[in-house]
Amino acid sequence: MDFSEFYRVSKDECLFTVLVSVGDQDTAEDLVAEAFARAWASWRRVSRHPAPAAWVVRTALNANISRWRRRRREVSLPDLGAVTDLPTVSQESGSPVDPRIMAALMRLPARQRQVVALRLFLDLDTRRTAEVLGIAPGTVQAHLGRAVAALRDDLIPTPKQENL
Amino acid sequence: MNDNELITAVREQRNKVPMTTPVEQIISRGRAVRTRRRIPGIAGAVAVVAGVAVAVPALLPSSHQPGHQRSAQLAAWTITKQADGNIYITVRELRDPAGLQSTLRADGVPASVTFYGQQNPACQGYPASQALLSQVFPSPAPPPRPRVVIDPSALPRGAGVQLTGNFGPHGMGMGVALVQASQQCTGS
Repeated sequence: MDFSEFYRVSKDECLFTVLVSVGDQDTAEDLVAEAFARAWASWRRVSRHPAPAAWVVRTALNANISRWRRRRREVSLPDLGAVTDLPTVSQESGSPVDPRIMAALMRLPARQRQVVALRLFLDLDTRRTAEVLGIAPGTVQAHLGRAVAALRDDLIPTPKQENL
Repeated sequence: MNDNELITAVREQRNKVPMTTPVEQIISRGRAVRTRRRIPGIAGAVAVVAGVAVAVPALLPSSHQPGHQRSAQLAAWTITKQADGNIYITVRELRDPAGLQSTLRADGVPASVTFYGQQNPACQGYPASQALLSQVFPSPAPPPRPRVVIDPSALPRGAGVQLTGNFGPHGMGMGVALVQASQQCTGS
């Protein structure tokens, strides 16, 4: 597969995987763009990786950690959207993403979100997910189980028992 | 809904947020990354051959290298043309307003871009209703945080866009307005 084809078929999944981890689309897109650029620069090696998309996501998440460490020492700037003369954005209208699911995902602890993203959005198996995150396969399964339970509690209403 | 249906519903979200960075921009950035990696080796080789250390600084990355400039462009602001013709502008740092302005003009948008409170004195305001402003600068679909969106097809004849970036009480931001298009203000 050449790089352009790889980018075409995997960019959205990589973006969403990183978006769920970092919680901000512009940040996620920057991180994923930089990771894909690094993948292009090392494409001979990355193309032989068993899961090139996982390589991209791992690179993006590592860059986010470095970015966070760097920014801790800087004065933070509010979002561009904080300025009032920008066009206003409705959080409800026109969203292609189910806001309930997105909100439920964002309520998960960070590690559970990463496991969900890698297992469900990138379709990585437990072993590969464990390698990407640097944790044990059993821990991946435990995180996924807890995450699915939390999503179930959040998204599936429990039938109320009526007192007779 | 059982667990399988729940997982399917969650999984379906993954293709609903499109990555908008064009592959050409990724490859351009990749070239800059590759160049940066190679420079120490090249510089070392040249220094050995020439036998002088003064050759090294000449090979270090400079702001005049095309790859480096593209890197700066990706970091400071990004312009993406959507399939529907809308232009998305994400500004992260208030740098290179002239580059942003010329890129917009190259995309067919008569534009004036200034940062840090500067104004182009040649620009004259274009009378615009709120409805017209909403058409020219439509809101992007969530979940992205706000960025400037321009619909060039909604621009009335004789009008151009004015973008002014500055730091205000709420932090960094972009102001948007319509101006009368002219060679001196918007380039056309």
